[in-house]
Amino acid sequence: MRAEELKGHLDAMLLAALEGGPQHGYAVIEALRQSTGGRLDLPTGTIYPALHRLEQAGLITGSWSVVGGRRRREYRLTPAGDRALSGRRADWRDFSAMVTAALEGGPCPNPA
Amino acid sequence: MPEPRLISSYLDVLAAQLPASIVEELGDGLAETHRSYLRQGLAPDLAARSAVAEFGDPELIVAGFARVNPARRAARRLLVVGPAVGACWVAALVTSRAWAVPLPARMLAGLVLAAVIALLATSALGTRYRLAARTGAMGLFGIIALDASLIAGVPLAGVPLTWVLGLAMAASAARISYAARALRPALAR
Repeated sequence: MRAEELKGHLDAMLLAALEGGPQHGYAVIEALRQSTGGRLDLPTGTIYPALHRLEQAGLITGSWSVVGGRRRREYRLTPAGDRALSGRRADWRDFSAMVTAALEGGPCPNPA
Repeated sequence: MPEPRLISSYLDVLAAQLPASIVEELGDGLAETHRSYLRQGLAPDLAARSAVAEFGDPELIVAGFARVNPARRAARRLLVVGPAVGACWVAALVTSRAWAVPLPARMLAGLVLAAVIALLATSALGTRYRLAARTGAMGLFGIIALDASLIAGVPLAGVPLTWVLGLAMAASAARISYAARALRPALAR
């Protein structure tokens, strides 16, 4: 899956990758690759501006630590990020159910 | 283990355009990517080439950071609200017969305003991170100075206080507050 297909969903995926606990940038992209079965095809470097955008929005917070003599920036979800992730998940379930119903036929479940 | 030349060259390209803290973070990620290819059994040079390829075009990364530059974002917001604050001041000065304000002061305010708008527009439209950050920070300083001068100077010039003037002063005070808060992240980069 390429960047243009992810447009609008990358933020939610990054928030989901951080749901399990603090991660640094490379670990975030690795978590996304694992959770998507390796189908995510994004240049690793482009994840970092997205993480900074989420930090500016107050959805994640970054802090420096030292690992193996090298400074490393780790990110964790803020309470606002946690709420945003829940909202995005609910929106995605509604959206995917609607599109699946439209493309494959069958009833569209009412939103919760 | 020394950093392969290809990786240090890649980071040099980023360092020419991005702040040191961002380059340090990217360098850590690139080193991790390199190490993961080494763990897969690739030779160091091939691992470095694979890591750089996986990280992507440095210009794409720079452009991504330029879009999230805090100074650029603040400049865009100030340009959006600027006409509303300006309209408040025009209404206030017209209804208060502010032509009592000396001509040189009015000309100076006009020149400062034009310079601030030019700085904010350069930052808001800029795709180069450092230029957007510098012009944005200068524009934020400029807007604070301009609004503070208006709030302090207009009553001192003998312009009678009306509710319209009060509204314009409140709008400027709010803009000062926003610009001052935006300055910290803008200067931190």
